[in-house]
Amino acid sequence: MPSAVPPPPPSSPTALSALLANVSRRWQGTPLWIALVALVVTVQAALLWLTWQQEQSQRQEDTETAAIAAAADVRQRLLDDAQTLQRLLWDQGRPERWRPQAAQLLQERAELLRIERRGPGFSIDEVVASVAYPGQFQAIPREGMSVDAEIACATARRFASPAYSRTYFLPNPNGLGLEVVDLCIPLTQESSTTDAVVVTMGLSDLLRVAIPAEIVRGHEVLLVEADGTRLARTGSRRGAGVFIADRLVDVSGFTAVVRLNSLQGVPRLIPNLSAALAVLLSVALGVVILLLVHDMRRRSAAEQALAEALTFRKAMEDSLVTGLRARTTDGRITYVNPAFCQMVGYEAEELLQAETPPYWPPEMAALYTERQRERNAGNAPPREGHETVFMRRDGERFPVLIFEAPLVDARGRPGGWMSTVLDVSAQRRMEELSRQQQDKLQAAARLATMGEMATLLSHELNQPLAAIASYATGSLNLMPETPDDPPSDLDTQLMIRQAVARIAEQAERAGRVIRSVHQFVRRRERLRENVRAGELIEAVLPLVRLTARRSNTRIEVDVPEPPPRVSCDRTMVEQVLLNLARNGIQAMEEDDTLPLNQRTLRLEVRQTGERWVSFGLTDHGPGIPDAVARQLFTPFFSTKPEGMGIGLAMCRTVIEQHGGALDFSPGPDGRGTTFRFTLPSSSPVPPPPTSPIPSPPP
Amino acid sequence: MTARVQTQSGTVFVVDDEEVLRDALSWLLRSRRLLPRAYASADEFWAAIEKHDVRPDSPACLLLDMRMPGMNGMALFERLIERGWLEVLPVIFLTGHADVATAVLAVKRGAFDFVEKPFSDNALVDRVVEALGRSEQALARLREREALRRHLAELTERELEVMRLVTAGRANKQIADTLDISVRTVEVHRARVFDKMDVKSAVELANVLRGAGLD
Repeated sequence: MPSAVPPPPPSSPTALSALLANVSRRWQGTPLWIALVALVVTVQAALLWLTWQQEQSQRQEDTETAAIAAAADVRQRLLDDAQTLQRLLWDQGRPERWRPQAAQLLQERAELLRIERRGPGFSIDEVVASVAYPGQFQAIPREGMSVDAEIACATARRFASPAYSRTYFLPNPNGLGLEVVDLCIPLTQESSTTDAVVVTMGLSDLLRVAIPAEIVRGHEVLLVEADGTRLARTGSRRGAGVFIADRLVDVSGFTAVVRLNSLQGVPRLIPNLSAALAVLLSVALGVVILLLVHDMRRRSAAEQALAEALTFRKAMEDSLVTGLRARTTDGRITYVNPAFCQMVGYEAEELLQAETPPYWPPEMAALYTERQRERNAGNAPPREGHETVFMRRDGERFPVLIFEAPLVDARGRPGGWMSTVLDVSAQRRMEELSRQQQDKLQAAARLATMGEMATLLSHELNQPLAAIASYATGSLNLMPETPDDPPSDLDTQLMIRQAVARIAEQAERAGRVIRSVHQFVRRRERLRENVRAGELIEAVLPLVRLTARRSNTRIEVDVPEPPPRVSCDRTMVEQVLLNLARNGIQAMEEDDTLPLNQRTLRLEVRQTGERWVSFGLTDHGPGIPDAVARQLFTPFFSTKPEGMGIGLAMCRTVIEQHGGALDFSPGPDGRGTTFRFTLPSSSPVPPPPTSPIPSPPP
Repeated sequence: MTARVQTQSGTVFVVDDEEVLRDALSWLLRSRRLLPRAYASADEFWAAIEKHDVRPDSPACLLLDMRMPGMNGMALFERLIERGWLEVLPVIFLTGHADVATAVLAVKRGAFDFVEKPFSDNALVDRVVEALGRSEQALARLREREALRRHLAELTERELEVMRLVTAGRANKQIADTLDISVRTVEVHRARVFDKMDVKSAVELANVLRGAGLD
């Protein structure tokens, strides 16, 4: 039995108790089994015992029946004998015939040993003895042994019918003897000299003759006196002493019990067919039960292992922070784990019953349904997962990363999709935060630079301007205010002249400051390099995508192959691209009515003419109102609350420094805006550095 | 515009490290008939004071740049406070945008005013003229006190006693009793005190003394 719990070492008391608990658990169904087995055994034993008992009673009954038959036979024989002998007496008138008849009778009937005719005074007149026991009556004189016969004859005479005497033992010369009985048949004829005929019968012979062979074969047959004295027996063997039946035989004074002792002893169990069958069945049943018990054990062990495996799997699923979701191909949810429920804020039952997932933001539902159809059509989702937006119960949208794998049912057919769902809102928030901080830092840096520049410039320009103002004020002080005032004297005029000279001097100084700024700007122009247009776009794309992700904006890039080359100050132009892209994305973010699938920012690069490469950025935002359009490139003008208003102005300056132009027009499909700028192409003919600023292409 | 043609005697010290501004300001002051004296640094100005080139004996005013290499404007200002020259030499600070807070503090501590660069020229000159007026007044007070001190020094011991009693409002008779001298002698002393203190009556004497803070 594969046990999920390995037996712990029984060293520590806790381990021991655990083992005990395990054992007790394993044997906890045992009493039931013991009861069942005991019941079966009892029933089987009872059945067996009943069968045996029935067998016994059957045998007893057989014996009884045989005993009845035997008793009847003995009785019949005795009656027959009496009758036959009476018939013999009918011929007593002719004594010469009696003797042979008697002899014949003795011959025919083996139980008759001797027939006596007794005269008056019980004298023996004539005797015919059987030849079977020669000398039987010589041992003791017959006269001395006729007491029983005399009593019988007295009884016979009283009832005028044959009567038997008591049984008595007739010893013979070789030390043995015979149990015999006398039958006295009284004679009532006055003419005869004979009083009675006494017939001596050997009881052993009587039994031998009277009991049929089939009884003798199965039984020891005994003739017993009422007081239990055994008189005679017949049968080949001694009885088993188990099945004994007694029957009383009472024929005119002869009273004895015929006792049958069956040769059969107690019936043995097995040889009996039904018993054998019962035993066989019992054994079979026992085996079946054992097998059943074993099977049940195995089954319960397997069930336990399965339950443990299930518990383990459940614990595993419950402990996951990753959401799990299974769906059928038609989009019905068949399984969600607690992490998923927690993520979207719905109960598992609600999710399983929902027609469309309640965590789909309503504005995205159409898009998601379409996506699902595409997936079912055989477009496998990307292995690296895809990002999408779900909605919590409170309506909050949050981004999730989904990994999907096809679910295959037991028959190998696709049954749906298993998805792992990661809530990436925290991650996105962090990214967004860091991006915003970066933006702020950049803005701050730009501001600081601008501030420094402004301070420097203002200081450098303030001085000459302040001096000029002072000289001018002083000169005015010295000059006549009205025509009525006296004209200035020569000294004053000289002073004024000096002042004007100083003014000129300071003006020139201010001019020098301005020129130095120009020179600084011009110095950057020397940083131009040959760059592929694609490289410029690729450089800013990660930042642009990061910005776009927040509002689910798609970025389309269209660069011809091979990409045209431009000559530019790479850093500056990248800044321009980034600014324009962010503007476009923000314009679409602010537009709530824009469907998600139209949130697209398109970046395209085209070679326009031989010398120019055009960059276009098209958004689908609300467009630019005329009032704003007029001021768009004015420095320090901004429609954004936190904007500085230098973005577009700077962009235009940068592009114009490159000799190109930056303009904008409404989008091609009537929505949004296209910002387009041109840069000098470097591949065919590099433009001569001294050429005048060319007019930008339309 | 009477202010523009009005002339004011007195010296305007200009302490600024920017030569262009110094020159322009000096020229402007001259155009208003003021007498500017320019110094390129606080150190240079302080050296002039030490050498007694600059003395508090005539109306003057100081235009002081706040930020300068070497000793800065505030440090010089502190030294002037120590010398007790603020009354005679009012200070007008010239400040950049960033130094306004410091300048306000300086005004609380006794500076005459501060002017933010770039300044409105004639307004500045107007303030300078006002400052010179203040300086002149202060000088006058100073001179009066000096004279009084000189007069008091001429008095003898007995004359001082008599003056104290006179200003306390005692009659000559009472004074004679108090000092155990004759009324006649008191009258002589009294006449002497009035003569030396250059006053005509006891009331005038009391006023002079109270005005100088010496009563």
